[in-house]
Amino acid sequence: MSAVSPGAEQGGAAPAPPVVLATHQLTKRFGDVLAVDHLDLTVRRGDVFGFLGPNGAGKTTTIRMMVGLVFPTEGYAQILDHRLPHDRVAALKHVGGFVEVPAFYGNMSGRENLRMLGELSDDGSDARVDEVLDMVGLRERADSKVGEYSHGMNQRLGIAQALIHKPEVVILDEPTNGLDPQGMKDVRDLMRGLGAAGTTVFLSSHLLHEVEQVCNRALIINKGRVVVEGPVSELRPEHSAVKVLTRDQTRARQLLGALVGSGNVSDDEEYLVVDGVDGQVPDLIEQLVREGVKIEAVVPAREQGLEDYFLGLTQSSDVDRGRSASV
Amino acid sequence: MKLLRLEFKKLIHQRRSYVGWVGIAAVPVIMAAALSLSSHKPNPAEGGPDVFLALASGNGMYVAVAAIAILTIFLLPLLASMAGSWPIAGEAESATLKTWLFRPVTRGGVLLSKWVVAIVYLAIALGLVAAAAYTAGAIAFGLHAPALLSGGTVTVAHGLWLTLLAYLFVLAGAICVLSLATLLSTLTNSSLTATIGALVIVIVLNVLGSFSFFDFLKPYVFTSRLEAWQGLFSSPIDWTPITHGLVAFTLTSAVLTIGAWIVFRRRDVLA
Repeated sequence: MSAVSPGAEQGGAAPAPPVVLATHQLTKRFGDVLAVDHLDLTVRRGDVFGFLGPNGAGKTTTIRMMVGLVFPTEGYAQILDHRLPHDRVAALKHVGGFVEVPAFYGNMSGRENLRMLGELSDDGSDARVDEVLDMVGLRERADSKVGEYSHGMNQRLGIAQALIHKPEVVILDEPTNGLDPQGMKDVRDLMRGLGAAGTTVFLSSHLLHEVEQVCNRALIINKGRVVVEGPVSELRPEHSAVKVLTRDQTRARQLLGALVGSGNVSDDEEYLVVDGVDGQVPDLIEQLVREGVKIEAVVPAREQGLEDYFLGLTQSSDVDRGRSASV
Repeated sequence: MKLLRLEFKKLIHQRRSYVGWVGIAAVPVIMAAALSLSSHKPNPAEGGPDVFLALASGNGMYVAVAAIAILTIFLLPLLASMAGSWPIAGEAESATLKTWLFRPVTRGGVLLSKWVVAIVYLAIALGLVAAAAYTAGAIAFGLHAPALLSGGTVTVAHGLWLTLLAYLFVLAGAICVLSLATLLSTLTNSSLTATIGALVIVIVLNVLGSFSFFDFLKPYVFTSRLEAWQGLFSSPIDWTPITHGLVAFTLTSAVLTIGAWIVFRRRDVLA
């Protein structure tokens, strides 16, 4: 399946920026379980790339293969010109990040951890350590032992260590997990800032709205496979349902049922939910008005949970294949 | 060198490192205190550590020697198992292994630096044992020209030299246990499993060594050579068992450590 569409969103003749992170038919099998299934993805310089999927979709295994922690059963990952796992060390000089919950040496301070990890990547200078501590707002607690950190502070330290050696690519696995609203906002602003400054960000998340806020491109993965890839604006399911509230719901139900089929009209508390209305909403409203039904409200029935969305995408996989190929 | 230094830094930041050091260094102190306070004297005729305990009860020089005779039975293999298990399995347990390997470091370099630092840890432990033993021995019995097992005495300096050789031999034996634990620690994410696994194997090998039926295995099993250093305290010294022991230790450690590397270089880090 050709889910990758390099430079599809690039208008005109401008050359697409270079690929900084990619996977090629990347596959991992654990016993009978196919965790990642021939995954192709391409991230270009300056992208803030969302890697979306429900828990257990294969996101973390993919990331582990991207940085050489896990060996692929088939295929390979690529960072700049380096293939992993063969060329792991050269590749990792250009990458920072973490997988799952960032883990540190609890008996050492945040500062010591940063200095040590920075040194492994050839930049553990005090000045740089202070810089990244400021970036994540951890300066005040930098000299406390990491073992005494809250979950949120640990998460911030994870981001700090990802940035310490000024990598070209930052891979963050659910970085806002467990942060308070202010912390989430800070981290999202930080990711946007990195992208604006030319650092490529690969953000793994299960939060659709987070990816929408931060990323320009995204890929949805489920059961180890690409479900859809493309610009973030095209990720949302199209609003094929609306909720309608009128002064005369009985009459509205009859009219709408006649237009879209009575099977497509259902109830949600006082609202009528009308399915299968792609592009027809203006016509439906006009029809109701013409028939003298007073309309109180028409709202998109989009408050669908992401889990439901994934479920929908994977259940109608044939449709999705067509869709992902066309994005 | 960077990896070695950073591994050592991690080691000295861990409280359990000090627990091991303090624990093992306490042994000669307790021994010296018990020997000087108790009226009962160990009987050299019973063999084993008692030979050296009997010598130690009259001469502080022998406290250090008696200490390793006792430590090699259990505490040193335990410490070696622990020191070999922490670096890989311990870090897998705390999930810092993935943090470490996210950096541009080779897996071989990581494994080797951890192995070397674990050896340094054991060497420091033995150094502390010796320091504690001579201090306690000097206070309790004074340091006199040591008598040899075969009769006759040597100078204090010569005695120190023989003891140093004995310690190095014991360290070489402990490195086998450490390498075994390192290999096991690449196979599990639990440092306790690796520690206990290595100890169990050492104990089983010792049990096999105590039955003459298994004598045909003896040349191949490093545990049967752990006491060869005792020959240093006779005159003339029969070097054959000692050099054979060192060769066996070197081969065993090399095979186990290379095995650990073969496993670790291709292992999926999932913790």
